[in-house]
Amino acid sequence: MAGFHPHHAPEDCLNCEHRHLRMFCNLTPEALADYDGIGIMMNHARGAKLFSEGDAARNVFVLCFGQVKISSTSRDGKTMILKIASPGDVLGLSAVLANVPHEVTAEALEPCQVKTVRKQEFVEFLGRHGIASMHAAQSLSSEYLTVFHDAKRLALSGSAAGRLARLLLDWGRTAADGRAEIKFTMALTHEEVANMAGTSRETVTRLLNQFRRDQWITIKGTSLTIVKPEQLERLTA
Amino acid sequence: MTAAAHPLAELLACPPQAGDLLSGASQILHFEAAYVVFRQHEPCKGLYLLASGSFARSAVRLNTRLALGTARSGELVELAAALGDGRHTYTLTAVSAGSLLMLPMATLSRAFDVHPPLRMHLLEELAREVSRAYTLCFLNRMGARTRRRQANSM
Repeated sequence: MAGFHPHHAPEDCLNCEHRHLRMFCNLTPEALADYDGIGIMMNHARGAKLFSEGDAARNVFVLCFGQVKISSTSRDGKTMILKIASPGDVLGLSAVLANVPHEVTAEALEPCQVKTVRKQEFVEFLGRHGIASMHAAQSLSSEYLTVFHDAKRLALSGSAAGRLARLLLDWGRTAADGRAEIKFTMALTHEEVANMAGTSRETVTRLLNQFRRDQWITIKGTSLTIVKPEQLERLTA
Repeated sequence: MTAAAHPLAELLACPPQAGDLLSGASQILHFEAAYVVFRQHEPCKGLYLLASGSFARSAVRLNTRLALGTARSGELVELAAALGDGRHTYTLTAVSAGSLLMLPMATLSRAFDVHPPLRMHLLEELAREVSRAYTLCFLNRMGARTRRRQANSM
């Protein structure tokens, strides 16, 4: 989960040095030149909403920098955080292509840079470039598995400690991307973490302190390192 | 009427020319219960249309085993692999004896050339599958939360 570095943020896609790291934007030169000509690059402040649940899906949002909170609200008004989107994620794609209202709300957790492309423009772009539609399919597939993964985490783990441990391990392994050190930036408040783990803010604070005392994790500012993943894994069993 | 009894062009909403191309190359495969049709990460041979029986989808993500639900007659499966990087995104196992129609990747590519809107049509179908997953999983999450709250209050 990379942080936001405004001085590194590109003005356009052609000069983006991070492009090869992003699943969707890693296009052929021809497709990239076309992609650069569509949509607009926008900066969003922390707390800004890119779209809200139930809104008509008029745009696709490609996250260039920053983190975005994806949430959904139940009929009784309870908000549930489904996932934290990171750079390279394509937001609003399923709703745009399925021609349905947005299923979720997307809100910037920190200052973000987002490429916003109008629905019709994006659909036509996919139609022109096979590689772009291939990347869109990969993005949809990843979104599909993430939805089930998050649902399982909440539904099956018996204890709050198990659900929190699973959440930390998921974030850590995603950020580590195969590296030995499992370290990530936790941009969420304890209240928001509690929401994702299906428990209370007090329980999250207590459990994080307990994990730290047991030296299973270390926390420095917003940086969290999982020192003993096997101990957290045992809690999820 | 089974899925296979419908003309393929009608099921895929494509003109007869592309439908005939796919029908001509399609292969009918039969499976007994518990047989694994394909495994996650294996190369994808084509797009599958379930003709009869029921099949279970499962996957492993970040060391967690996921049950992705059951696929039934008339459903297209592995749109993500066929349209994406050509690797299966989940494992498909026969729950009961059944059969499916496999549309080979090479023929699917030719059908995209013959009728380019077909690719976008299938991508839209994949998006609808994701949209349905949100509905399904969100309801499950709310159910889990309610059950947990009820258990805690007892």
